[in-house]
Amino acid sequence: MRPEETPAPGLRELLHPARRRLTTAICLQAIAAVMAVVPLAAVAELARTLLTDPVVQARAWTVAAVAAAAPVAWLVLSTIAGGLAHYADLDVQLSVRRQLIDRLGRVPLGWFTNRGTGGIGKAVQHDVDAMHHMVAHALPNLTSSVITPLATLAYLFWVDWLMTLVLLIPVAIGVGLFVRAGMTMESHTSAFDEAQRRLSDKIVEFVEGIAVVKMFSEAKRAHRQYATAADAFATSFLSWVSHAFRTSAVSELALSPVTMLLTILIGGMTLVSNGHFAAVDLLPFAVVGLGLSGPLQALHYYSHDIENAGAAATRVGRLLATPVLPLPTHPRRPESLTVQLSGVAYAYDDNRTVLNGIDLTLKPGTITAVVGPSGSGKSTVAKLLPRFFDPTAGTVTIGGVDLRDIAPVDLYRMVSFVLQDAQLLDSTVRNNIRLAKPEADDDTVRRAAQAAAVHDRIEAAPHGYDSVIGTDVRFSGGEAQRICIARALLADAPIVVLDEATAHADAESEALIQDSLSLLAAGRTVLVVAHRLASIVGVDHIVVLDEGRVAEQGAHAELLTANGRYADMWRLQEQSDTSLVAANITKEAP
Amino acid sequence: MIRRLFTALGREHDRALRTLLALLCSAALLQGFAFVLLVPALRELLGEQPEGAWPWVAAQAVLWLGFAAVSYSATLAGFRTGANLSKDLHHRIGDKVAQLPLSWFNSDHVGTLTRLTSQRVIDIMGVPAHLLRQLVDSAVTPLVVVAAMFLFDPRLGVAMTIAAVTAAVTYRVAGRSRQTVDEESDRVHAEAAGRIVEFARAQPVLRAFGRTVDGHAELDAALTAQHRAGRRMLRAGLPGIVGLGFVAQAAFIALLAMGTHFVIDNSLGAVEMIVLLVLGARFVEPVMLTAELGGALRAAENALIEINALLDTKTLPEPEVSQQVYGADIDVDDVHFGYDDVPVLRGLAMRMPHGRMTALVGPSGAGKTTVIKLIARFFDTDSGAVRIGGADVRELRTEDLTSIVSVVFQDVYLFDGSIIDNIRVGKPDATDTEVYEAARTARVDDIAERLPGGWDAPVGEGGGRLSGGERQRISIARALLKNTPVVLFDEPTAALDAENEYALRQAMTALARDRTVLVIAHRLHTLQEADHIVVLDDGRAVEQGSHDALMALDGHYAEYWRARRRAFGWRLASDTADAVAMRPPVLDQTDTQPARVTPGHAG
Repeated sequence: MRPEETPAPGLRELLHPARRRLTTAICLQAIAAVMAVVPLAAVAELARTLLTDPVVQARAWTVAAVAAAAPVAWLVLSTIAGGLAHYADLDVQLSVRRQLIDRLGRVPLGWFTNRGTGGIGKAVQHDVDAMHHMVAHALPNLTSSVITPLATLAYLFWVDWLMTLVLLIPVAIGVGLFVRAGMTMESHTSAFDEAQRRLSDKIVEFVEGIAVVKMFSEAKRAHRQYATAADAFATSFLSWVSHAFRTSAVSELALSPVTMLLTILIGGMTLVSNGHFAAVDLLPFAVVGLGLSGPLQALHYYSHDIENAGAAATRVGRLLATPVLPLPTHPRRPESLTVQLSGVAYAYDDNRTVLNGIDLTLKPGTITAVVGPSGSGKSTVAKLLPRFFDPTAGTVTIGGVDLRDIAPVDLYRMVSFVLQDAQLLDSTVRNNIRLAKPEADDDTVRRAAQAAAVHDRIEAAPHGYDSVIGTDVRFSGGEAQRICIARALLADAPIVVLDEATAHADAESEALIQDSLSLLAAGRTVLVVAHRLASIVGVDHIVVLDEGRVAEQGAHAELLTANGRYADMWRLQEQSDTSLVAANITKEAP
Repeated sequence: MIRRLFTALGREHDRALRTLLALLCSAALLQGFAFVLLVPALRELLGEQPEGAWPWVAAQAVLWLGFAAVSYSATLAGFRTGANLSKDLHHRIGDKVAQLPLSWFNSDHVGTLTRLTSQRVIDIMGVPAHLLRQLVDSAVTPLVVVAAMFLFDPRLGVAMTIAAVTAAVTYRVAGRSRQTVDEESDRVHAEAAGRIVEFARAQPVLRAFGRTVDGHAELDAALTAQHRAGRRMLRAGLPGIVGLGFVAQAAFIALLAMGTHFVIDNSLGAVEMIVLLVLGARFVEPVMLTAELGGALRAAENALIEINALLDTKTLPEPEVSQQVYGADIDVDDVHFGYDDVPVLRGLAMRMPHGRMTALVGPSGAGKTTVIKLIARFFDTDSGAVRIGGADVRELRTEDLTSIVSVVFQDVYLFDGSIIDNIRVGKPDATDTEVYEAARTARVDDIAERLPGGWDAPVGEGGGRLSGGERQRISIARALLKNTPVVLFDEPTAALDAENEYALRQAMTALARDRTVLVIAHRLHTLQEADHIVVLDDGRAVEQGSHDALMALDGHYAEYWRARRRAFGWRLASDTADAVAMRPPVLDQTDTQPARVTPGHAG
């Protein structure tokens, strides 16, 4: 059974919670945009009034009053619209973040280890930002940019249709070219996106590897790969815009007020000369018609913002559509604690098979070690038990119940783990230790810390158990690992997975971690992934993995007698540090 | 804003930017003249003989031609400048980053930097390509219009001047209040984002300990609180946001009222008044458009501020000419050093003789890695000096220092690319033979054999496809290829699998041959092979000498050695006799000893 797929929500779905307010904001903004045209139109009318019949004072004042009132209405309406859009934006952000959290809480854990948290950071930060910009700013502005020219044209059409058509010539050319330029750019956008993605990958590498760059690169120069990516980016930008920048330069020129002005004058003069309309009727075009260019030229920015937001929404949507780990509809509770892997296979994709046909039984209260060279699939076996991923074939069962049929709450009550990378939360030490049992009292927390040999270190922190990790205190790798062990001790799950738990420990921590691991292992069903064979010679059962298959299994002595893969590894290690210790230290037979 | 742009781009772009600005100003002036020319044209048109306007129309057409030529070239120049600008900004930022002291690279700065080179640079590219025109227009056009007003009617000219000043002031004030709102909103936003990233990062732990349900609730409460804060902030900031629009409109209304009044009391002709109102509208429009584009403008301005701040960051000072280096002895002389206020080294003195291997041991936090970083001059000492071959590292140019010193880090970072690419980093102009030679000596051939694709196999992002020991071997190959007289080596603490351990030891032995080596030792082997051992504790060298001498001393070192040996002898063992399905919680037995562990090989 593969994780459940759901279709990715698009921009529309993401905006759904704010739909109503956003619609209202856009409508109000549209009315405001019409209001913005009124004062100019009023001026034109005033002109016609004053010039045709210079004595109608009362009418002049009425028109002037209308012209003055419209901006007030504009101000009120656009304030309300802006406010609504901003509030709607806050709601959209909250809802998108809630959806993200809900999703992240349900995807397979392996998904995080495979992809890292960088992409999630980008989605919640930049992409939600881009959407914010669109909802709060670009949409209302775009509305004005569209409605203002439309209202203007409607008024002008009412004044004189023929002259309006003449004025539409540069507008049509400008907008037409603008759309064409946009389409050309669109069709070439992928190369530019690629260059941009590459550049941001390279800057991350450059910075992550800064110590290496400083040591090995040409002095005081940026990392070569980054520099190359930066050049490629500039070239790609230029070739991207070069497809269209002549077109958009012409479009910009066609929509410029100077072009409008010339069109109005030439067209108007011609029409006046051949008696189509009175010279006075040209005034509205000079006053209002010139106002067409501004909003049309600004269209460019807003459409770009909206495109960006669309792309951002797609990325967020994809994240929100990450397949989740299916939950059992009728969860079952295992009666016993025997763990059984039968015919288990796991593959990242069709080409990368990690495990194949693994059969393995962990009897209650025994320790089973998994050993093997790098890339043999040791850690993957360990990660199947806490259900970081589901196997692609075969089953993992506890007490005969498939992990997929156990409610997560029950599963994690039974299985706890200590991994290579100690994961601490940015919270107090106390909260970190009693994560599994938030109700645990101080005494219990302290005893867990003592058992994990980390109590003294915690007491030495500025606020003891109330020190906030990351702010008040930073723990070394070994100390962090012992806090994780204290946490696992307090959680007290009967099945424990240890994946190279001492890997990042410093020398003096290692012994302490080992002591607390021994304590944690006592009496539980343990699956341990180990590098140093000497540390697991005494366990009940050793499984040797090679290229995703079980090469051998049995107890240490049996495996040595078998003289296979394990015996090879053992001999190699004896030539290494082991031999030194064995030679230096009073020898004791295992 | 324009000044900041010049600063960010540096001298060599002055000319291109000046040309662009000149083009844009000419375009804006021509546009202004075109508007002013409308006045006589309309006057004629509305007068007795409309045909009299034709010459003005012809003049208008000539202006248009000039405008078209200038404006078209300005657009093209804008795009080109934008592209060149991105290239140079990226290089300037990159070169600067390569010179910053390592202490600068905390997670905050790294996050900022990634955003700076991606989004921020793109924001700035939009300045010459689009925004600069808008800025120039909104300054030049109103100026021309106001000047023309004075020409036609000084009273309206004065009114327009007042309006222009008010608009400028409002723009500033509104900008500031908007900025406050933006900054606050950015902060709230970043905080929420940070919480979600943490939630994602800690998923395994949160879930394993059954906390996803509660975790949701806590996180949700935080998000809701931020949502409320956002609303409060909006209410406070909204008036500023609409202020500018208000002033622009008010100016227009004032002009309208005054004009109407003057016409009615016959001090101004109706035609003139109308035409001046048309000009007035031209005054308002660019200002309004600038206000609407305020977001993009502020983004670009903030981007420039950030980039200039980065380019201004202090780097470690360097001499013009390096001091002479004699041999490769390293001398650490009474060095004090601390991160922020926390002292790490307090008067460390040690000497690493030429061609020998010195091992550094000590508890975590004793400052072992700091010693390596000071020798490689990733940062400078607070007091005291580090000398190589008699020369203070501060008196060496970076290129001279790096030609003497190589570092093999514990967390080896590999660049995305093949194994061979990553080795070649040590000496980019090395021949293939040299590269393979170094690779074989460092036992990288084993890795190439294991991976599909061999030498050309990609190592994955950060070297993710390789194990820690394998990455370190590649790093050793790098150092071998670079072939410097001094090698600083941070040995991995992690236990490695048997094959890796063996290969790594061989690689290290090869690297140590005939070089001055400082190794932070975690392997018992290494300690035994070292010519000299320095025990670091609490920022000082507490013991120094050979392994045997230090064992005989029976002090810190002997104690450390015993702890290591015990750790080495540790065994996780089972005692199936009392294995029970569900045993009582371990914490109920307060004095539990690691009972079912066979003790290590006692000494």
